[in-house]
Amino acid sequence: MNAPAAPARLGHDRPLRVAIIGNPNTGKTTLFNALTGLRQRVGNFAGVTVERVEGAFTLGDGRRVTILDLPGSYSLTAGSPDEQIALEVLLKRDASHWDPDVVLVVVDAVHLDRNLFLASQVCELGLPVVIALNQIDVAESQGIAIDIPELIHELGVPVIPTVASRGEGLDPLRNACFTAAALPAPTPRFAIDASAETSLARHKWIGEVIARTVTRRARSLDTPSDTIDAIALHRVGGPLLFLVIMALVFQAVFSWAAPLQDAIESLVLTVGSRVGDVLPEGDLRSLVVDGVFAGVGSVLVFLPQIAILFGFIGILEQSGYMARAAFLMDGLMRRVGLHGKSFIPMLSGYACAVPGIMATRTIEDPKDRLATIMVVPLMSCSARLPVYTLLIGTFIPALPLIPGLDLQGATMLLMYLLGTVTALAIAALFRKTLLRGPVRPMILELPPYRWPAPKSLMVSVWQRCQVFLRRAGTVILSLSIVLWALATYPRAPEDATRTAEQQQEAQLAHSVLGRFGKAIEPAVAPLGYDWKIGVSIVASFAAREVFVSTMGTIYGVGGEDDAALADRLRAETDASGAPVYTPLIAVGLMVFYVYALMCMSTIAVTVREAGGGRIGWRWATIQFVYMLVLAYGAAWLVLVIGRALGFS
Amino acid sequence: MTLPVASNDPSCHCPLLDTKQGSESTVVAIACGESEACRLRALGLYEGATVSVIGKRHCLLVDVSGTRLALGSDLATGITVQPRAASAP
Repeated sequence: MNAPAAPARLGHDRPLRVAIIGNPNTGKTTLFNALTGLRQRVGNFAGVTVERVEGAFTLGDGRRVTILDLPGSYSLTAGSPDEQIALEVLLKRDASHWDPDVVLVVVDAVHLDRNLFLASQVCELGLPVVIALNQIDVAESQGIAIDIPELIHELGVPVIPTVASRGEGLDPLRNACFTAAALPAPTPRFAIDASAETSLARHKWIGEVIARTVTRRARSLDTPSDTIDAIALHRVGGPLLFLVIMALVFQAVFSWAAPLQDAIESLVLTVGSRVGDVLPEGDLRSLVVDGVFAGVGSVLVFLPQIAILFGFIGILEQSGYMARAAFLMDGLMRRVGLHGKSFIPMLSGYACAVPGIMATRTIEDPKDRLATIMVVPLMSCSARLPVYTLLIGTFIPALPLIPGLDLQGATMLLMYLLGTVTALAIAALFRKTLLRGPVRPMILELPPYRWPAPKSLMVSVWQRCQVFLRRAGTVILSLSIVLWALATYPRAPEDATRTAEQQQEAQLAHSVLGRFGKAIEPAVAPLGYDWKIGVSIVASFAAREVFVSTMGTIYGVGGEDDAALADRLRAETDASGAPVYTPLIAVGLMVFYVYALMCMSTIAVTVREAGGGRIGWRWATIQFVYMLVLAYGAAWLVLVIGRALGFS
Repeated sequence: MTLPVASNDPSCHCPLLDTKQGSESTVVAIACGESEACRLRALGLYEGATVSVIGKRHCLLVDVSGTRLALGSDLATGITVQPRAASAP
């Protein structure tokens, strides 16, 4: 047993350490967000890919608490990576040596019997325990009365009623954590093992506790949730509603974000040029304006999409619809050997593969997870959008096809479909080859529907934005600067007879990047590309949207003027006077971008999420190579078949 | 493993998958992977628990003491139950 060390000093000399645990869908994260607000730090548990969120708060008298959000768990013994981590921390065996002083178990008052299973396991770890009896308001409204003093007596630990979504009961809970730290740990009743005998004995004991503490009106089988589910899970209505919701999310991520992205872009540009104005003409100004500010801009421009996507994911999760979505998608996903939960990361992949791959953490089976990670980057992310937009806008005519859809829109749709269908096919392929294994049977809780808590939602969205800025942002920014250097040095000799544009073009041809592009020209020639496209493809390795700005730089029109760039591309001819860019080349180039993993950030995230170290690099390499082969092959096929059909 | 809680008449036992929608039954045995069985028990679906089938699709929708679960049909085949006499067909 771990006797609490000098409790009077805890919170003053060093913060009290509280680990928070609970079943999924109990409002644990809402409670965590309500307790800590924005004072959160996101990281990973050492050596594994399970997300670790740590927060802090200070009591009125100055005592400090750090609080660790353990992954949602139904038990401590089922052996999923998440539950394993929770157990390691609670047994003080976690590699980071974050040894908790108190465990706060969040228990759903509506489903007390099921939640007590985990709570009673936690009570056997020899640590002081506090129970937050959450959603007590919902329980009361359903006619469930809980005798709290009796429950405290039965469990031998403090029990505090809370309503996390409205911030009720937080202060008593905070104080109870300190009080509990000074109390002895509860006496163990059972062993913590996964055996059927222990589980049954535990359930028998829980049944007795429930009988003594809970009185309820006769439970009607039809809850309000069932009424919603009659539509949401309906054979026809369910998938329809799902499509409508997904269309809304999609639309929001693309169009609601656009004005914000434009605003951010122009703000960064304005500030950048103001700063540039006060700097002397030369390399420093170029570094600051074209390297740093352009880099910062290309990072910040993702924020609106990420915030909106995670806002929606938060609403879908908190409301309880996400489980229904996973349920509806399970049939389809299972056919390609994935899990219903793989759907969420793949959907996120439409916005950005980085959060998409991060979202695979919810998938328990390692093979399911890896297969999902491997195909998420095939979903056309928002960074491909500028490439599609530029090429479609420039080379595909707006021929009306059916009312509401023209050839431009249809081409765009086709690119998205191509990526999605390929992702499913490749996932099936991985599950039959490198990641062969049984598909885990589905066990999915469909939690009751409830209103999302806006404050907690905001905190979660802010948390995701921070994670993106820190993890992907730093990579993108530093690569922007490296690429700026590669495109700037060595300096081309000044030639007074050239225009500024010609000078810029000559500079790029003279630079390391330009030389590299020329070196790989034989490799991209079969696809119909010249060295300038080659350079842009190589440069877009930092992030795909860099393709457009590099093209802008190469053609000396600046990275922000799409219309000028489009005119320039249409006018571009090769040595023989034939146009370099034809609609066929443009389609081939788009197909190349559908498949190619031109994204440093994704590779960095894959390395870590696939297991880190050598294993992580192995999977990241496999991912990069198969996608490059696919991209090259498909772009080549487009060109060959297109020419055979008489397109130029 | 068969436990005494529901050993009335083994001839009435059947897989959960084969029970009628809307019917209530008592879980007799759970045959599946160790971690799945552990997950099911933690969710309240243990030997002796009452389970009612509320929907059938590509998988099974069940209610165990107020918790709604979606169970894959392969899993539901491995769960042996004793249908309740009152709601048996």
